[in-house]
Amino acid sequence: MDEFQEILQDFLVESFELVEKLDEDLVELENNPEDLELLNGIFRVAHTVKGASSFLNFDVLTHLTHHMEDVLNKARHGELLITPDIMDVVLESIDLMKALLNIIRDTSADAGIDVSECVVKLDKISGGEGNVETPVASAPVEEPVEEEVIAAPVDEDEPDYDNMDPDELEAEIEKLLNQRQEEDRAKREEKVAAGETVLAAPEIQEEKAPEAVEPTPEPVAPVSTPVPVTPTPPPAPQKTAPQGDAKAAAPTKRAPAAVEQTIRVDVKRLDHLMNLIGELVLAKNRLIKINDDVEERYEGEEFLEELNQVVSIVSLVTTDLQIAVMKTRMLPIGKVFNKFPRMIRDLTRELNKKIELEIEGEDTELDKSIVEEIGDPLVHIIRNSCDHGVETPDIRLAAGKPETGTISLKAYNEGNQIVIQIDDDGKGLDVNMLKNKALEKGLISEKEADTMSDKEAFSLIMRPGFSTAAAVTNVSGRGVGMDVVKTNIEKVNGIIDIESEVGKGSSMKLKIPLTLAIIQALLVGVQEEHYAIPLASVLETVRISKDEIYTVEGRSVMRLREDVLSLVHIGDIFEVERILDASEHAYVVVLGLGTQKIGLIVDTLVGQEEIVIKSLGDYLKGIEGVAGATIRGDGGVTLIVDVVALMDMARKVKSTVLVEANANVAQITLEKTKASDYKIMIVDDSKTDRMIMRKALEPMGVTLIEASDGQEALNILKSGEHHFDAMLVDIEMPRMDGYSLATEIKKYNKYKALPLIAVTSRTGKSDRMRGVESGMVEYITKPYSADYLASVVQRNAKIKSEFL
Amino acid sequence: MSDKLKQIINKQGEQQSTDTLDQSDDIVQLVGFIIGEEEYAVPILAIQEIIKPFSWTRVPQVPPYVLGVFNLRGSVIPLIDLRVQFGLPAKNHNEETRFFVLKQGDEVAGFVIDRLTAAIRIKKANIGPAPDTISGDDTMIDGVGKQEDRIITILKVDKLLERDF
Repeated sequence: MDEFQEILQDFLVESFELVEKLDEDLVELENNPEDLELLNGIFRVAHTVKGASSFLNFDVLTHLTHHMEDVLNKARHGELLITPDIMDVVLESIDLMKALLNIIRDTSADAGIDVSECVVKLDKISGGEGNVETPVASAPVEEPVEEEVIAAPVDEDEPDYDNMDPDELEAEIEKLLNQRQEEDRAKREEKVAAGETVLAAPEIQEEKAPEAVEPTPEPVAPVSTPVPVTPTPPPAPQKTAPQGDAKAAAPTKRAPAAVEQTIRVDVKRLDHLMNLIGELVLAKNRLIKINDDVEERYEGEEFLEELNQVVSIVSLVTTDLQIAVMKTRMLPIGKVFNKFPRMIRDLTRELNKKIELEIEGEDTELDKSIVEEIGDPLVHIIRNSCDHGVETPDIRLAAGKPETGTISLKAYNEGNQIVIQIDDDGKGLDVNMLKNKALEKGLISEKEADTMSDKEAFSLIMRPGFSTAAAVTNVSGRGVGMDVVKTNIEKVNGIIDIESEVGKGSSMKLKIPLTLAIIQALLVGVQEEHYAIPLASVLETVRISKDEIYTVEGRSVMRLREDVLSLVHIGDIFEVERILDASEHAYVVVLGLGTQKIGLIVDTLVGQEEIVIKSLGDYLKGIEGVAGATIRGDGGVTLIVDVVALMDMARKVKSTVLVEANANVAQITLEKTKASDYKIMIVDDSKTDRMIMRKALEPMGVTLIEASDGQEALNILKSGEHHFDAMLVDIEMPRMDGYSLATEIKKYNKYKALPLIAVTSRTGKSDRMRGVESGMVEYITKPYSADYLASVVQRNAKIKSEFL
Repeated sequence: MSDKLKQIINKQGEQQSTDTLDQSDDIVQLVGFIIGEEEYAVPILAIQEIIKPFSWTRVPQVPPYVLGVFNLRGSVIPLIDLRVQFGLPAKNHNEETRFFVLKQGDEVAGFVIDRLTAAIRIKKANIGPAPDTISGDDTMIDGVGKQEDRIITILKVDKLLERDF
């Protein structure tokens, strides 16, 4: 398959996908003509198809989609309401588009369908006169020709090209060519006889001749002029072909005879394999967790050594296996880059500019699914650079720059990411101009414009509907392209970084994770919940004291080196019930996405872990701020933070970082106005013992709640009905003993400060030690005096003496 | 002889197949469970499994009856408290509480129920439509089954698995 065919294939696959969805969307649109989201989506499809088809020189298709786009663009800007009549025409044009795509798939050309009538209608709708010129369809090229060329030698006894001398070879080629021409002519005659008109037929011959001789066909020049050309005698180009090349070319045609070093595997199988690896990674995480637990419990035992070894081997092999499978899914990014030199050439002609494209790192490999996603964004970025970035030669010369502009396309690895960098040496982005345009279009408010950093201003170009171009051209200026870039890159968890200097040029970096299914994540805790944040979005973590948080216009901010970082508490995003934690410090996870930054306040940092992304399923899909879930080593489910959505949510959430904390303090201190506001829980399996404690404490006037074992106590506590100030806990109890109860209670953040007092007849030193380890603050041995018990309770529950 | 044998075998086969058809036509197999005071049932074939309660993870921005998600052998599955969904106050889980995992097509979800009753075989003839006042497309009730001494509300699995927020 040559390059053109490869690109064509990609184009067809993509277009059919897009068109399939388009039908659905359009019908939906008819019901909700006001739905801007939907319109934007439909418009993007038309735009993408147009862009790709113009680059592939399918002029009829481009012509049609261009007019479709016009109509949709008007509707998008509210200048046109989609009425059923208009929708009929739009749907008709979609049908034509489908028919054209089908023809392209079968013949590699978009001839044979008359779109002029529909185009006129479209043009009338969008306010034009209806007199548009129709380009002539390009001729059928490539495919049939190529197949025949390959097939031809097989018909004969396969002459041995290797041993031919140049003259013989040339004669052989000439013979083959003549043969081909004869066949072609016969076919054409057949077609003509069948009533079909074959346009620009002679070009087939011109096309085919170099095809057959040249070993490395240049990005096969398909008929680029839609106007029929006068026939040229075919043998001419073939004579000029260097003989050495011809010699080299011949054997390559027979290459399949060599031993196969690769096998083709269905992508589905690889996906399945990847899923299995995902399961394995989860099991490995679990194994590591269990190993840690066992280590803790049986410290010093001999078998631990062995277990450790096995666990580390398993985890090592799992990691290697994961990398190996990931590699099988990798494709060189060159597959995407290949189509750009051609695109730049066409664009420079169209725009009358001189631009050179430099490509670096085309061997860099990426996951297949990601390679598929980044094709479109790159097309849009490069078109943008050509149209808006690089200036025309005379302006460049006047500015003292070389006449020819340069766009460089680089791909390289950086840690766990691939960076694709697109630089141009054009005019750069003018921050003030961007802000003014955005203000004009009502995308931002005056105030936002003032407080906006340069980076934020650059990212304005990604907003839907934003365009700085004065006129809509065939190349760009509608304000969708960069929106496509943002959507697609975010879909693969990538981030976009724009840098620019006026007059010098701009640079855009796309940072994309290597794979989608398994990622590194930072696990954070808030109260007793855990969340996983994709490590790719984490810039750094800092520990700050609460005094470092300032409030500006109702929002919490902190100073991070020379920047001011806005803060949001993870609890506010995920509706976590927050009980005051007295700690002086907080952890801030600094998240970066493209040019935006935000500080996420969390209670604890748990650590870094490799997680497998699982979907939440249809029932729970689309929860804002949640990208999915993962299963942890202990079998529990942890939600994965969607950093993109979180940034949006943070803007809406009114920060309560400080306010709430103060309110809580007030509430708790206010609450206690009399002795009975204090609540003490008595946990003992013996009714007599509970009675004795009750007798000792009742005189204080505090409220007493009883539980007969650890399990019951835990349930009462968890029900949240009561807020306890202290607990008296017996050690030996059925179902759950005092130590386990204490350990369970201390797992909850909100009970960290709850004083647990052991009341027991166990007096051994080791018992006391265990008590302290499990989180008990006092240890009262039976028998005890009532006064002593009361004083211990008073001290620990901090009961104010004026209530007694 | 072999012809005769074939005939007999064929006859038997026919009889058997009509037998089973009759059975499946007439009898509906359900699993009954209690929520609050009422007995409900779902078709046995919609049940993937019934498990004892275990821990789950809360999910934000969902109605109160969606408790969160749990891990069922490697799949992340939503957990719905039917008590709350049916407008009853939430209750702490006890020894009798079960998670009902229902499946239809690709949709899977766990439902918390108060207590299991029994597998029920009920004749189709004994299943009446839902009362007029609550019938329609929106209702979760598929029909009402009558057995000697009790009335069982049969629920629509697809409605249970449908997200309505």
